[in-house]
Amino acid sequence: MLASDFLVSFIVLGSGVAALIGGIVHFVGPQLVSLARVDSDTNSNSGSESREASDHIVMVLTTGIVLLTAILSLIQLVSFSLGGGYTETGRVITLMRWMEIGDFQSTWSIRLDSLSVVMMAVVTIVSGLVHVYSWGYMAKTENRARFFTYLSLFTFTMLMLVSANDLVQLFFGWEGVGLASYLLIGFWYSKVYPNANQITPNSAAIKAFITNRVGDFGLALGIMGAFFVFKTIELGPMLQALRENSFETLSKAQQAFDGMAPTDVVVSFLGTDIPALELIGVLLFIGAMGKSAQFVLHVWLPDAMEGSTPVSALIHAATMVTAGVYLVCLMSPLYEHTEFASTFITVVGAVTALFAATVGLAQNDIKRVIAYSTCSQLGYMFFAAGIGAYEAAMFHLFTHAFFKALLFLGAGSVIHGSHHEQDMTKLGGLFKYQKYTYAAMLIGTVAIIGFGLPHVWGLSGFYSKDAIIESAFVMGQNGVSFGMSAFWIGIVVAFLTSCYSWRLIYMTFHGRDIVEKHTENSKAYDHISPPHESGLSMLIPLGILAVGAIFAGGVFAGPMLTHSKEFWGDAIYWMNGDSVYYGVKKLKEAHSADWVFWAPLTATILGFLLATYAYFVDKGLPLRLSSSGGPLFNMFKNKWYFDELYQITLVNWIRILSNVLWKIGDEKLIDRYGPMGAYRLALAVSRKVKIMHTGYIYHYAIAIILGIMILGGLVFWQMGGGN
Amino acid sequence: MIEEIPLLSLLTFLPLFGAGLIMLVSMITNEKFAKKSENSSDREAKQAERVLKSGMLITLSTFLLAVFCFLLVDFNEKGFALVEDVKWFANVHYKLGVDGLSMSLILLTTFLMPLCILASWNTIKKRITEYVVAFLILETFMIGVFVSLDLVLFYIFFEAGLIPMFFIIGIWGGNQSVLASFKFFLYTLAGSLFMLAAIVNIYMSAGTSDIVALQNLEYVLPNQIWLWLAFTASFAIKLPMWPVHTWLPDAHVQAPTAGSVILAGVLLKMGGYGFLRFSLPMFPDASAFFQPFMFALAIVAIVYTSIVAYQQNDMKKMIAYSSVAHMGFVILGIFSFNALGIQGAIFQMISHGLISSALFLVVGVLYDRKHTREISEYGGVAHVMPYFATLFMIFSMANVGLPATSGFVGELQTMVGAFEEARWASVGAALGVILSAVYMLRLYREIALGPRDEGRLEGLQPMDLREIFILSILAVGTLLLGVAPWLVQDMTSQSTESIVSLVGRR
Repeated sequence: MLASDFLVSFIVLGSGVAALIGGIVHFVGPQLVSLARVDSDTNSNSGSESREASDHIVMVLTTGIVLLTAILSLIQLVSFSLGGGYTETGRVITLMRWMEIGDFQSTWSIRLDSLSVVMMAVVTIVSGLVHVYSWGYMAKTENRARFFTYLSLFTFTMLMLVSANDLVQLFFGWEGVGLASYLLIGFWYSKVYPNANQITPNSAAIKAFITNRVGDFGLALGIMGAFFVFKTIELGPMLQALRENSFETLSKAQQAFDGMAPTDVVVSFLGTDIPALELIGVLLFIGAMGKSAQFVLHVWLPDAMEGSTPVSALIHAATMVTAGVYLVCLMSPLYEHTEFASTFITVVGAVTALFAATVGLAQNDIKRVIAYSTCSQLGYMFFAAGIGAYEAAMFHLFTHAFFKALLFLGAGSVIHGSHHEQDMTKLGGLFKYQKYTYAAMLIGTVAIIGFGLPHVWGLSGFYSKDAIIESAFVMGQNGVSFGMSAFWIGIVVAFLTSCYSWRLIYMTFHGRDIVEKHTENSKAYDHISPPHESGLSMLIPLGILAVGAIFAGGVFAGPMLTHSKEFWGDAIYWMNGDSVYYGVKKLKEAHSADWVFWAPLTATILGFLLATYAYFVDKGLPLRLSSSGGPLFNMFKNKWYFDELYQITLVNWIRILSNVLWKIGDEKLIDRYGPMGAYRLALAVSRKVKIMHTGYIYHYAIAIILGIMILGGLVFWQMGGGN
Repeated sequence: MIEEIPLLSLLTFLPLFGAGLIMLVSMITNEKFAKKSENSSDREAKQAERVLKSGMLITLSTFLLAVFCFLLVDFNEKGFALVEDVKWFANVHYKLGVDGLSMSLILLTTFLMPLCILASWNTIKKRITEYVVAFLILETFMIGVFVSLDLVLFYIFFEAGLIPMFFIIGIWGGNQSVLASFKFFLYTLAGSLFMLAAIVNIYMSAGTSDIVALQNLEYVLPNQIWLWLAFTASFAIKLPMWPVHTWLPDAHVQAPTAGSVILAGVLLKMGGYGFLRFSLPMFPDASAFFQPFMFALAIVAIVYTSIVAYQQNDMKKMIAYSSVAHMGFVILGIFSFNALGIQGAIFQMISHGLISSALFLVVGVLYDRKHTREISEYGGVAHVMPYFATLFMIFSMANVGLPATSGFVGELQTMVGAFEEARWASVGAALGVILSAVYMLRLYREIALGPRDEGRLEGLQPMDLREIFILSILAVGTLLLGVAPWLVQDMTSQSTESIVSLVGRR
């Protein structure tokens, strides 16, 4: 028992320790190394050498620890799946006190249930691979120790998020990953572009942080609402009360809402009475929208691509952005009771899936295409969760981590190999130069478009994405609002996904050669060395992720989908008792609507054919489309003008408002007419009195103190004597 | 044995005693050396070093004494500990005592003082003896405010604290310092006059100025309202609350670094302390009556000053405005009248004492190098000052209330506390949490990040060990309290309980 507690704690805390030591070594290491070397070697170059040495110490340390935790958590996941899951309510390991005020009790702890076990595996595995990959990708960068420290810090906060046993620790992880994301996006903090309109890493980092804060605003209020209703922030008792829809187990809440069920509680919020659970549900989901870049709060994600590619793979594809999905699934006992909030999630998810796919279709930056693809896939997960198919959402989260990380790291390999070119119109024909990368990207693409034969076998995306689309159909039939629309949107998005994914492959790896294009266009460079394949440290993670992208779906579909009830246990709650996928299974066996199972595949193949037609048969088509423009295409290309909208409505206004409040509010109004006109008085006094410059300060000070004392004493003495 | 030692008097007057000693010694030595014809600048340097060292010794021993008092007291017991009670004149007593609330603020005060002396080591060039003496006198008055259990005694300390601060800003401050110090002085003095009137009134009607006794008296409502308003006038200016905050940015801009540290770190907290010690327990009905009003002012303070902070060009002004916003959370927590809110408010005061002090020291580090506080004069500082950039990042994140820093705990708890009472207040405060990120990240970016521009980096040297030490100690404190807030909150829980039960009489 103790041993396993130790191992679990190590999985969660190991990366934190690595980050801490990494940070310390980053600062003190170079000095120590150069001190140690001072006898043997006193050349002038020792400064950069000792920095190099300490960089290596940090890299070995962080990578080693994170890889170790990855292996442990994979073992944990597998043993967990084989065992059929935890049947009893999750185990909790308490680490330390945090906040304890009355009922507001938060402890640093690790919650173990199927959700956290799956997330731990995803986070540590992808993180471990990204650590390894960064050895190659960041090889020529300065300050690698800082980079690796940030990566480990991110891993730690993400693990704290997924293993939180109360909402406040979850919030710690939530904002912690935001910080890590901010630091990593802004890692190249001195980069500026000649084109002033192009967003710099610094601006992108701030944009990410602040947009996430808008989401956190909702999450924080959601936590407050939850505490208001349940009088506890611990997940266990809160979720149990929700599952039973009764306050019996929560004595304080029972006192406050005597005789009511949680669903009956109504809160007055900003002048209106709202069912408490709906309010909490929507507020928590606003947090999820920020972190998972959902429609309206998505603007930060594409710009976050200013961060280095391994970071995009880890944070902005596989792990952090899925935190919102995780939160919704974690709170499934809540969302099962909230019709409005769930419908809201469904709609936002479906709109995001569609919106991001259309934008992804019109982008030329290889990383931005994948970023919008991520956004779109997250939309899938959300509408699955919204209709109640939490198991499908979590499963897609799980498989998506593999193929999306694969695509990002593959894109990184492309960028690395072709000397930091990420404009797809300038790339092309890379398959000649990067055979392994090409293979990896191809696998990633086939996985993301969800290729597979129904009833037979497919790649990872096939199992998870089709499960979502089919669940939407089943729930639509059951009358869940927007279920059927979600199903159809899912099909359309599957088509679009296939289009943009193949477009990416064709523009990058096929078509006219990059070297050819370059020598033709560029006058500035006389010569470009042809792209090269990346080294082993980058290819091995690609290989492992490719294995995941191919097999993870098939292997884990059994426990996570087919036996979802047993696998997820108490962690996911379905009010009807049966999991949604159980309905899909029945539909499959009944053969009453077989077309549903073939529809996504058909859409995918159509998308593939269209892309192939556009880039191989009628080669001028994409160019004609983009040059002739058209309102629709321009809208896609300009990301539906969201950045412009926010610039006009928010960013400019806060500047104006700030100046108005400062110059007019503070200086013209308060200082002039405000309390006692102190400002003017001060001005008048200071012109006349020059005691400051005459010295003898003590005399004045003592005179004032004595004066006050004597005056006060007299007053009181007189009054006291009078009584 | 220990009970017979007047520990709190010792603690309070130790700095004053030290100040007297320093003055005496420097007078004697000045005369002695004046006779010898030694190189005068060399002599002054030696003198300065000696004075600073003795100041360091005195403040450190005061801190150790405070820690000793802290260890001596069991804060789970109700009421006040280490009480000293001597009849002074009429019914006025010289009565001292501590509970968790005052102890936490005393520890903060005595902890910051040595750092202030250390921060002044090479930066204060003129009248160093007077400078250290002023700080030591100020320390006595600040501790006195927190240990007083008699209203009159409290008032004397509360007012007297103005004087050394007035001189610190006026003499060792910037170019416009005389104006700023007068603005500061008049503002706060004006507020205090109302309080003085209220104290006279209370004394006349109750016949005692004993705080504990007064807390258990019932006041008729109309009377309560006037008294409450009079007290609030003083505390609101001290804190400061919107719209009586405009003295603060000016005072901070002109004050020397250590002056800003004490001003933001301790003097502002006297306002919050006053609300908790007097307004709530003594006038529960009036406090309840004014709750929506105070919430509204707190929200305006949080949102308004956060927005104003965004466009500031002067680093110190931005941080000063940010202070006003953070004090809004204190008001929010205090007036939620529940344990969570009040604990959060106390914690927010302690935490802000560390974070804003650190931020002013950060500005001081830059100012000592380039002698300007204009944000636009800086850029890319991280290239040459990596330690600085890291520590500054930690404090920025603490200021925006990131979890695991102390800033988060206070903000969250005050908001959750207020949520019980008024949802709209929490929504407004949560808006402030977004806005704090907006201005703070702008500040960090424009100072620390950006391309390497040799012109802007000119004169910027990496931090020396002294500076690294000061900031690191504050960083450790901020993170430690963020991860283990119970280090403070265990101490303050009993006094919070008694405030909650006193205000619950309404």
